[in-house]
Amino acid sequence: MTRTRGIHGWLSALAALALWEIVAQIYPNSFVIAGPLDVLRHMAENTGLLSRAVTATLHNAAWGFLWGNLGAIILSCTVILLPRSERTISLLALTVFCLPLVATGPILRVLYGPGNGPQIALAALAVYYTTYLALVVGLRAIPQNWSDLTRIYGRGRMTELFYIRARASLPYLIAGLQIAAPAAILGAMIGEFTGADRGLGVLTLRAMRSLDVDATWALASLAATVSILVYGIIGWIGRRLVAHPASILMTPPPVQGRENWSRSLGKAVALIALVLVLWHSVMDIFDLNRFFAKRPLDIWRYLTTNDEARSTLRTALTETSALTVPGYLAGLGLGAGLAILLTLVPALSATVLPAAIALRSVPIITTAPLIVLALGRGAAGTIIIVAVMIFFPTLIACLQGLRQTPGQIIDMFDSYAAGRLRLMRWARIPAMLPAFFASARMAIPAAFLAVTTTEWLATGKGIGNLMALTATTSNYNMLWSAIVVVTAAATLAYLVVERIERAILRVYASEQVQG
Amino acid sequence: MKLTRTPTRRSVLSTGAAALGAAAFVRPGLALANTPANLQLSWLHSVQFGGSYIAASNGYWADEGLDVTLTPGGPNAPVEPPVVSGTALVGISAADYTAAAVAEGAPFKIIAVAMQKNPFAIASLAANPVNSPAGLVGKKIGMSTNNTPVLQALCTLNNVDINEIEIVPTQYDAAPLVSGQVDCLLCWATDLPVAMTIQGVDNVTMLMADHGYSVYSQTYIATEDSIANRRAEIVGLLKGEVRGWNDYQKDTDAAAVLTVDMFPDAGLDLEAQKLQAERQLPLMFSDLTAAEGFGWFTEDGIAQNIETLALLGRQVTPALWDRSLLEEVHAV
Amino acid sequence: MRCSPMSGAAVELNGVSKVFGTGDAKVDAVAPLDLMLKAGQTTALVGPSGCGKSTVLRMIAGLEDPTTGTVQIGTETPKALARRGAVSMAFQDPSLLPWRTLHSNIALGLKLARKPSNPDQVNALIDLVGLSGFGDRRPAELSGGMRQRAAIARCLISEPELVLLDEPFGAVDAITRNRLNLELPPLWRDRGTTAVLVTHSVQEAVLLSDRILVLSPRPAAVVADITVDQTTIPVPNTPDFQRVCDDVSDALGAVAA
Repeated sequence: MTRTRGIHGWLSALAALALWEIVAQIYPNSFVIAGPLDVLRHMAENTGLLSRAVTATLHNAAWGFLWGNLGAIILSCTVILLPRSERTISLLALTVFCLPLVATGPILRVLYGPGNGPQIALAALAVYYTTYLALVVGLRAIPQNWSDLTRIYGRGRMTELFYIRARASLPYLIAGLQIAAPAAILGAMIGEFTGADRGLGVLTLRAMRSLDVDATWALASLAATVSILVYGIIGWIGRRLVAHPASILMTPPPVQGRENWSRSLGKAVALIALVLVLWHSVMDIFDLNRFFAKRPLDIWRYLTTNDEARSTLRTALTETSALTVPGYLAGLGLGAGLAILLTLVPALSATVLPAAIALRSVPIITTAPLIVLALGRGAAGTIIIVAVMIFFPTLIACLQGLRQTPGQIIDMFDSYAAGRLRLMRWARIPAMLPAFFASARMAIPAAFLAVTTTEWLATGKGIGNLMALTATTSNYNMLWSAIVVVTAAATLAYLVVERIERAILRVYASEQVQG
Repeated sequence: MKLTRTPTRRSVLSTGAAALGAAAFVRPGLALANTPANLQLSWLHSVQFGGSYIAASNGYWADEGLDVTLTPGGPNAPVEPPVVSGTALVGISAADYTAAAVAEGAPFKIIAVAMQKNPFAIASLAANPVNSPAGLVGKKIGMSTNNTPVLQALCTLNNVDINEIEIVPTQYDAAPLVSGQVDCLLCWATDLPVAMTIQGVDNVTMLMADHGYSVYSQTYIATEDSIANRRAEIVGLLKGEVRGWNDYQKDTDAAAVLTVDMFPDAGLDLEAQKLQAERQLPLMFSDLTAAEGFGWFTEDGIAQNIETLALLGRQVTPALWDRSLLEEVHAV
Repeated sequence: MRCSPMSGAAVELNGVSKVFGTGDAKVDAVAPLDLMLKAGQTTALVGPSGCGKSTVLRMIAGLEDPTTGTVQIGTETPKALARRGAVSMAFQDPSLLPWRTLHSNIALGLKLARKPSNPDQVNALIDLVGLSGFGDRRPAELSGGMRQRAAIARCLISEPELVLLDEPFGAVDAITRNRLNLELPPLWRDRGTTAVLVTHSVQEAVLLSDRILVLSPRPAAVVADITVDQTTIPVPNTPDFQRVCDDVSDALGAVAA
């Protein structure tokens, strides 16, 4: 990093702080936003309390980060070693990721009892999926020749994974870990909502209810600062480990056997059966009480006998979908657009990236009231909240993807003095596509989570509101029905995106399309 | 980690959690020989449960041979699952929540009532006050839409047309009221209004219980199974609670100080805790409790609850309540 | 230091053909092919672009299964030979792993062939391919020609019985290519290793090979089989050399027309 760039970064940070102070001044006594000066004062006055809270939350986030990413690494290596397992593993991972906190929180609390278990588990659940998807892309992103290199010696996938893919996927793993860092911290904070006696989440709740806006923003700033630091550290380690430029990917398109419909239908049925069996048996194994841990048959009975429940669910799903689709597209567009902008104008990174990480790591319960205050409770406000909640993984994955443009191709464009925009259009964006589609897939469950959270916080409509309601009325039949509906919708969306992805990647990145 | 009586998968998991580096939740200074029991609180630690902290710190439960763990609640920690699972021996709930859970097949009984008067209130700014249910007409009310039945019940009880009130879905947060997005809030009298007062925002509360809304709150619930098989422990737990809350009534400031001392990491403000402790006093103590003891409830009270619960769409019978344990507690 | 030369293996193709895809997307890449490549000889496959010569090479390597027919190397199948670590391959792109040093890229050839690591042997080979002193550099710090030398070294370090070379010098400039053509072939030739070379360059084929097979456009079939006497011919710019080059070019011209 050069000196000028360093100064640039500091100036941008100062500008951001000034902007923040100005916004705080625009809404004085709104009890919604506190400026950086008030935040600093609060931090200075409560150093002991805040540092203990940061320690507690970071401790849980770190363990969750470790377990979640370990799980992701195991899952993605399994997919590489047993390519046939990909569909099953991806969709199971998606299903588990779709489980809303309203359902998992109480179950984890009952399983673990008092202590840090649920915080760690929720942090792990918040990170494993994004890392898994990023890593699968990375493990695949090797030239055909490297793969032939191991095969020529009669060595199998294990050797290839060990000697080649593992190391080649490192940039993708680093990007995945960078996405995971703020997510783990947020997951640990939300885990504290299941009943904890210390941590940033506990203090945030307390501060909001006490109308202590200085404390609320001090906590949000702390969470954001810690996230930015962890993000930076991982990136620094990554740059030390990955000093080599990206290599060119030349892969002949694999010959595709077209799958017939009856066979895919058979696979779908088998997968649904697997999910149902797992659902039932996990609950049985842990001896979870049927009162709140409903089994598939309970839900079947509930939905088949209860017309009113079905229509409630249908209405809620319609309301939710109406927000999810625009929110999803807005989030994806924002993420990919920012990534392209930052690649075209790298000087902006120093300002935009920390702001993006901050937006990602500040709990939405802190920022949502501000967005609502500024934009109202209509569709625009909601869509922006959703976009803010999901754009981050897309941004990081796309930035990483844009960097994967092989050096030789960049040189070739430079030799024609083709200019940044043309290079972007003809070389970088195609190079970004695998990462973009991976993030498009990872954004699906995130979008549903974002919309349901927003519905609960701001609009009071849709599935999100329904799920929050079920927890206070012990209507766990409805809660699990809603989970089934959301999961099914997310899976369907996933399959649609996957289909589009395959069609496009077949042209631009055929190493990603296996069978 | 003392949670479950028998080594179940659950305790194996808990141990696993500890092995993951999770600090075990161990309450210091309690004799090992005491029977462990878990009391599931309905919210984060605060003076809302001040009597329980007094019971713990004065050894009232140790006197009963119990080692009680107080598990905090939270926005994503419903009380019913741990109680129905047996993870918690007793939980702190409310009559409407319990009625809903029972309708879904949970075998709960309400065994004692901490808040005789429901803490739900309409809070407004002093400059634009709502002093009666009729005053709600034409106002914007900020609340979770999940509480619409509560507002509906209040309207029905007081002949107000709910359609003339504009409901704005908000988080449970006073900011929308203070920043002028809404005219009033549906909230507990003991939290958001206290916060506003501490922050110097002049406000008015109208307690719904004073306008016919009769739903027991901060109620103690246990499963029929526990009541049958762990009766002595529940009675012991309630005895400690009664002693603790009796001390609380005598000196709410002391309860607030104890709460802040016991939970230094909870970010509690002593002044706010003192005010909250004082404000919840009239909800919990009355002539009835003076005569019969803390936690008491009457047939009349149950009948009123059944009426209000019906307005909330909950059909319940007096069988939801079981006073026999409390009778044992106060018989001594 | 030199290890004792290993004897190469003969390669035999019996009615080997390859069809990619099915139905409308069906492509006949290689017509049924019968070939016998002698042990210790270097054979060049030349032919127009996309004629299927690389596919023939990949079938010999065991990377592709023939649609019909069998490939036999010595007495073994290609896959059995591969499992013994007795075959190696160099590609047009050197395919060095960017995170490994030159030394460890070459040592990888031993590891993948399940042979004991031997740093001295690796260093000796580094000297032999003319990369002395570059052992601890990473590929990005080397020129294209140096990388290609390293790729050949990785190929030879495991002392294979069969070396497969898929346009190994196709990506370097003409001057470097000429140098590599002169310096590297003795490394496998002197050990008696059987080699199969795919190339576009007629000169390269004549310089390096004992035998040149000219393949037709897809599906690949042998249209000319030219023997090169390596004891007399491989001196560029001599009339003998030029005559063989002309023969190969004529055969190529005939199939391309």
